[in-house]
Amino acid sequence: MKNISEARIGGLKSYSLLLAVLLVVCLLPFWTGQYYMQVFTIAFYYVVLASSWNLIAGYTGQFSLAHHAFAAIGGYTSALLVTRSGFPIWMGILAALLSSTLMGFILGVLCLRMRAIYLAIATWAFAESVRIFISMTYKLTRGDLGLAVPKLFLGEGRGIACYYFFLGLAVVTILMIMIINHSKMGYYLRAIRDDEMVARVMGINTTRWKIFAFIISSGIAGIAGAFYGHYNGLLTPVMVDFNEMALIVIMVVIGGIRSIPGPVIGAIFIEILTETFREFGEIRMVVFALAVIAIARLYHEGAIGIVRQFAQLISRRKRAGEGVNE
Amino acid sequence: MRRENSTLLQIENLAKDFGKLRAVDDLSLGLEEGEIRGLIGPNGSGKTTLINLISGVYKPTSGGVYFFGKRIDRLPPEKITQEGIMRTFQVARLFGDMTVFENMLIPAFTQGMGKRQASHRAKELLDFSLLGRLSNEPARNLSGGQGMLLQIVRGFMRQPLRLYLLDEPFAGVHPVIKDVMIETIQKMNRDEGVTFLIVSHELTTIRRLCSRISVLHAGKLISEGTMKEVANDPRVIDSYLGG
Repeated sequence: MKNISEARIGGLKSYSLLLAVLLVVCLLPFWTGQYYMQVFTIAFYYVVLASSWNLIAGYTGQFSLAHHAFAAIGGYTSALLVTRSGFPIWMGILAALLSSTLMGFILGVLCLRMRAIYLAIATWAFAESVRIFISMTYKLTRGDLGLAVPKLFLGEGRGIACYYFFLGLAVVTILMIMIINHSKMGYYLRAIRDDEMVARVMGINTTRWKIFAFIISSGIAGIAGAFYGHYNGLLTPVMVDFNEMALIVIMVVIGGIRSIPGPVIGAIFIEILTETFREFGEIRMVVFALAVIAIARLYHEGAIGIVRQFAQLISRRKRAGEGVNE
Repeated sequence: MRRENSTLLQIENLAKDFGKLRAVDDLSLGLEEGEIRGLIGPNGSGKTTLINLISGVYKPTSGGVYFFGKRIDRLPPEKITQEGIMRTFQVARLFGDMTVFENMLIPAFTQGMGKRQASHRAKELLDFSLLGRLSNEPARNLSGGQGMLLQIVRGFMRQPLRLYLLDEPFAGVHPVIKDVMIETIQKMNRDEGVTFLIVSHELTTIRRLCSRISVLHAGKLISEGTMKEVANDPRVIDSYLGG
């Protein structure tokens, strides 16, 4: 009984902390200037990408290197439909969802039977093909010059509207992944990651569930990419640059792979660092890469693991103190 | 409706090649519903390969496996599981990052069991096998014997479980845990009519559990019968002595 009530109190504490963080994030635009509001808006975009990549890489163990390409597919689909065919933005975004999930399905069927390194290589090759295609089809996408995209919100309050919009997108993504994680599908994905053959012997159609997770993850990335295009007002093939994928991996690994808060912490932390040290240029990526190597070598659970251990240490000390007092 | 004393599993002229090596050679074997069959043989005689062939992990080079008359040797492992066949592995293969309890839920979920029903059965089975107190422990923290026990008990979550293939379940297991395993196997055989095919080197345990024993050597079935019969078979003695 004691364990159950302790678990409930622990759960309540976690939810209270979550609500407090959400409240702070909601009030943040009133404290920060326009610049940092923009930084946080982009950070929320990366929260969506990092969390959805964590669904396939962290929870299912499929190390895809094409996640940024799905964001670009979504972004360009919506942008092209809106600019070239005069579709309303909401229809462009719906089309972005459809195109990215369809491409996710096709790539999933082709690649998800592959193992580890082969999957990484195949998905990386796919992403590079997407980048080259966007660069080459100048007449359609304007290649490296960039495609001007109609903006999502206009007027004076655009910055704050975009901030709350991307915050909402991030919250919905996190909730969706939490629901998946606690559903039967979440159990299957974790089982597949731990031991795919045993998962099959337990009756899980591993290919089907891996493809399903891949489709969901691609769809989320596609929507995020579409909204990002309409937020930024310009799309270029840089969106499919390998650095973008590397940034997503860095965010997840530093924050803590295989956890819900890990990619959130990682994305916000890395995006703020990236902006703060902008003057150092590409050297930032070298520093981040070193941090990833250090975490992979020394502490797999990332920042969230350190926070958890610290909390456990305090809780143990508190209990020990109570024991002495008794 | 259960069929009494009918052939549950029929293996016909089964063969499996790995390159030039023939691991299972023209093997035919039948299992009756409700029996506990022992499968013994020297190292490299093809016992685990046979388990892998029945459970769909390997596809045979030739021959067939029939379950209640239905050919299953071309089916993938997950489809074979849906027929009511489960298996364990020589080394306990658990979902290490999940808790003991969560490990139990997986086979129940894959057959469409709801969380409440699955949790009830998991609790019942874990308590019976004395693993109940470890329910919330991550499976990777279990000892070798506890892991092996959990691996066996997890398979019982499938209902109905018709055939359970146990690959070396007693190897290196503490005698107390071994007794729990034996009790669990006997209970599931008695109460739920589960048929077992048990690969083991532990002849004392096999004698205690199995009414019939099949002996493999170099991928072939060389003897079959009660423990007394196979123990007196000169081909069995030769195979164990390197003949």
